[in-house]
Amino acid sequence: MDPQHFISSGIIELYMAGIATDEEVGELETAMAQYPAVAAQVEAYRRSMETYVTMQGIDPQPDIKASLFSQINNEPNLQEGVPVPDEDLQQPKVVSMQETKSPSWKWIAAAAAVLLVGSLILNYVFFNRYKEFREYKDKYQSLLVSQNSILSKSNLYKTRLEQMQESMEIIQDPKVLKVPMPGTKAFPEALATVFWNPSSQQVYLKVNKLPEPTADKQYQLWAIVDGKPVDMGVFEMGDTASLLQKMKVTGKAQMFAITLEKKGGALAPTMEQMYVAGKIPG
Amino acid sequence: MYDHYSPALYGVALKVVGEEAAAGDVLQEVFVKIWRNIDRYDASKGRLFTWMLNITRNTAIDSLRSKNHKLEQRVQDVNSVALMYEPQLAVHLSVDHLGLTKVIEKLQKDQRIIIDMAYFKGHTQEEIAKSLEIPLGTVKTRMRNAIIQLRTLLKQV
Repeated sequence: MDPQHFISSGIIELYMAGIATDEEVGELETAMAQYPAVAAQVEAYRRSMETYVTMQGIDPQPDIKASLFSQINNEPNLQEGVPVPDEDLQQPKVVSMQETKSPSWKWIAAAAAVLLVGSLILNYVFFNRYKEFREYKDKYQSLLVSQNSILSKSNLYKTRLEQMQESMEIIQDPKVLKVPMPGTKAFPEALATVFWNPSSQQVYLKVNKLPEPTADKQYQLWAIVDGKPVDMGVFEMGDTASLLQKMKVTGKAQMFAITLEKKGGALAPTMEQMYVAGKIPG
Repeated sequence: MYDHYSPALYGVALKVVGEEAAAGDVLQEVFVKIWRNIDRYDASKGRLFTWMLNITRNTAIDSLRSKNHKLEQRVQDVNSVALMYEPQLAVHLSVDHLGLTKVIEKLQKDQRIIIDMAYFKGHTQEEIAKSLEIPLGTVKTRMRNAIIQLRTLLKQV
């Protein structure tokens, strides 16, 4: 585009008003650099616009000037580079500030270093203490665990002892009859004992030796009353079997026997599964 | 320097922000900026007045845009621009330029409005088109004619 054509294109007017597109601004700036005539024309337009601006100038309120000058004078960084007459007066101030500043920085740095070292030492000390404390804590916890287990064991022994004492009292009661029940022909190894108090009618059972039944089966105690079997209840094996177990009551009996039945007991004894039986003496 | 340039720069600030108190603040900010950045002014790139004028327009437009009620402001823009052309307000114009003021008065009102919206308020072509309810293409034509007319009038002085 030749300079004359550019000048008459109308881009300069839009550029002056500030509404030319970025593309137009680019084109114009290139042309201004290339053709002095275009640059001169742009400058002429600019002067016109500035005359237009100047023509519309309005005197600002006088207090704005006062406030502006006081602001400029009060801002220290604004005074730099300004040929102020009291420069000599200002200079020593700055120097003396720097003098007081530098040693104070040294002091602060030294204090910070001391504090840092102190803090590191304390960190080390407290960390070691913390480690020690953690060991003690572990020990304390294991002691607590063992004490708890001892306590529960001792409770267990106490209950056991009480149960034994109870058993002993029953056995030693002169009213209580002891009925040994040896193994039948089919199970000669088996042995159990019934303790029966005819006056209170209570029956107790002590398992001396019985094989552990399968999970779906349970032993059941029977009393033979006038030739008929009467249910005396099923009983537990395992740990409980070593103790005297309280069974049902009966006022009369000539014989006691134990059979193996399905879990929960049967209405009538299974004679083939009779392990032990014993007659009441006398 | 202040006495020489402040009327023109204040006039610009007032045109942009539309109220005297805000324009005063802008003027003060402008002179502080000029003071701080005077070492950055490059005489080979343009005249001092051009440089100061750009600072003023940018500062004033920024101040206007930073106001929260942008939308409200937009609506008022046209009104306040129009108000500036009322004769009683022209009394405030600097006495020195009284002769030149007549030139401005010869410029058609809508030509002044379109120049001022772009030049002072920094509106885009789209914004001017929307505000004056004229097609985008017409904005360009009118702007061109307005500036040519302005130059013609100035040459007569």
